[in-house]
Amino acid sequence: MEPTFRQSLNWLHTWAGVVIGPLLFLVFWTGTVCVFDKEIDRWMIPQTRLIYDGTPVSADRLLAEQRKLPPRQAPWAMVMPNERDPFAWIAYRTPTGFDRKFYDPVGLKLLPDAETWAATRFFFPLHYSLHINAWDIGLWLVGLAGMAMLALSVSGVIIHRKIFADFFTLRRSRQPQRALLDLHNTAGTLGFVFYVAMAFSGLAIFAATYYPSGWMAGFKGSQQAYFTEAYDNYFRPPQKKPAAPVASLDAMVEAATKAWDGLPPFMVRIWLDGDASAFVEVRPSIEGDLAMRTDPFYFDAATGALLHRSTTRPVTGLQQYLVGLHFVQFRHWTLRWVYFALGLLGSLLIATGFLFWGESRRKAHEAAGLGGVRFVEGLAAGSTAGLVVATLAFFVANRLLPSGATFLGGARYELEIWVFFAAWLATFAHGWLRRGQAWIELCWIAAALAAAAVLLNALTTGGHLARTVAQGQWAVAGMDLVLLAGAAAAAVTAFRLQRRKVAYKNGRLVRQGHEGVSS
Amino acid sequence: MSTALLAGLLAAVLAAAYLGFALLALSQDRHWHHLGGARHCPPRLVLPLRVAGYLLLLAGFVLAIVRDGPSFGTLLWVTALSVAAFALVCTLTWRAHWLRPLARLLQGFAA
Repeated sequence: MEPTFRQSLNWLHTWAGVVIGPLLFLVFWTGTVCVFDKEIDRWMIPQTRLIYDGTPVSADRLLAEQRKLPPRQAPWAMVMPNERDPFAWIAYRTPTGFDRKFYDPVGLKLLPDAETWAATRFFFPLHYSLHINAWDIGLWLVGLAGMAMLALSVSGVIIHRKIFADFFTLRRSRQPQRALLDLHNTAGTLGFVFYVAMAFSGLAIFAATYYPSGWMAGFKGSQQAYFTEAYDNYFRPPQKKPAAPVASLDAMVEAATKAWDGLPPFMVRIWLDGDASAFVEVRPSIEGDLAMRTDPFYFDAATGALLHRSTTRPVTGLQQYLVGLHFVQFRHWTLRWVYFALGLLGSLLIATGFLFWGESRRKAHEAAGLGGVRFVEGLAAGSTAGLVVATLAFFVANRLLPSGATFLGGARYELEIWVFFAAWLATFAHGWLRRGQAWIELCWIAAALAAAAVLLNALTTGGHLARTVAQGQWAVAGMDLVLLAGAAAAAVTAFRLQRRKVAYKNGRLVRQGHEGVSS
Repeated sequence: MSTALLAGLLAAVLAAAYLGFALLALSQDRHWHHLGGARHCPPRLVLPLRVAGYLLLLAGFVLAIVRDGPSFGTLLWVTALSVAAFALVCTLTWRAHWLRPLARLLQGFAA
């Protein structure tokens, strides 16, 4: 135990930060990437680069298309197009996961399958479960990171000695340690509300997993019973008898739309398809409201009669508000960009905190002959800059791998993921081997990969900036522009780090004892 | 609401937050001095600067609510505060001379 409260919290902040830092950065970075999940999907799945003019798609016509597909397990769902996902899709739960088919929104022509997991299926699950599904281990690890983020935020405020006096202060120090701490403090103070809101709402999304005692006590240990009660879900058991044909889905959608004051449908799902008990769930669009409300309508599939209309419970409403706040699936481009910017600021916060730890101990550890500092430096480079490089390598692989490619039994989408993890692992090795040069080289690699991704996109899809801007394909154009901006930022950083290193070597830069704001 | 009005209100929200934070920063000796003032911010200017600063932040809140309604408006305001404060910190660090005219104007009041 440390002698004072503040020192105790300083100890907590330091070690929780160092131990959880890599995981926290992973969660924050992938979360930031997922702010533009649909836009990344458009970029990585070129056949879905369509423009949707808002004309409603007939659910009956989609049903007719679904009947042409080989039979699969129910339930399955039809998802209607919107601005960011400009195609209709049919989704199935399969024994091994999830499968989907895309249809163009005008002629309902079947589009080629996606050969990538892109953002919605790769980065998004990586963000909340690390793709480790056994015993929910990934979910729990991310939950731990979320709790740690809250603890780090609170302890960070307490150990910050002059939070108001230094509120607007960022010293232009040439001393890396001072500059890193100032950047860490500034990024932490200014984005504080956002980080706490994201960590808290993130935990609230999986409240039923993280805090199971409530439903275990209240619903005799049945999570299903809790969900049915909280979300007012409807279900009826199958009759094991063949079903009558499905009545008009469009009529059901129209009835629901009228009750939602004209809100368009988001999803139409058929439960127990083929059974006499089959019923249809219609959910409204979630784009218009901050709270991610579901409030579905349930209809009898054979007759089209209304079976049940869900009403959100007040507590569920609050949870859905937190979920909506976290998911940013609403239509608000300003907020989307602000989330992205604040996500980057949060990534900077975690990275600088991590680097400060190493920088402030480097001399003492080297003097004491401890090898640990070398290990942590490699870890810091790999888990921050390395992750950015891996993300960019994933984009480049997406544009380089030919359609239908397989390798060692891995399908094309798996190869992309292999590239991601291989590139990431390589950056750790690089960080340990090329100590001192690692950051400069990683910055150059990131700049090259980002520029290459833009170039490859133009070459392989013809969707270069001049064309995408002219056609109003803002998802693709925006992705290219962000990549180019990232490439420029990485190149400038690499150049400056290089120059500073040379200056140090030549002895022109002496560590300054006194540093004013304007130095 | 027209696109132009939406864009104008967004700019106004950000501008109010930025200017509000700028006044709050100027009420601190360090930034007052840094922007060409005397060593200390004149005591009779400190309170008015802070009141005006907070009022501008509040004005940003009202504008955000007018633009986007209570739920999106609140979120827009809270996040815009972070963005504006970060923009101000960057200005103070790398482009402080942009704020000199504002500082000179306030020095005129103090004299």
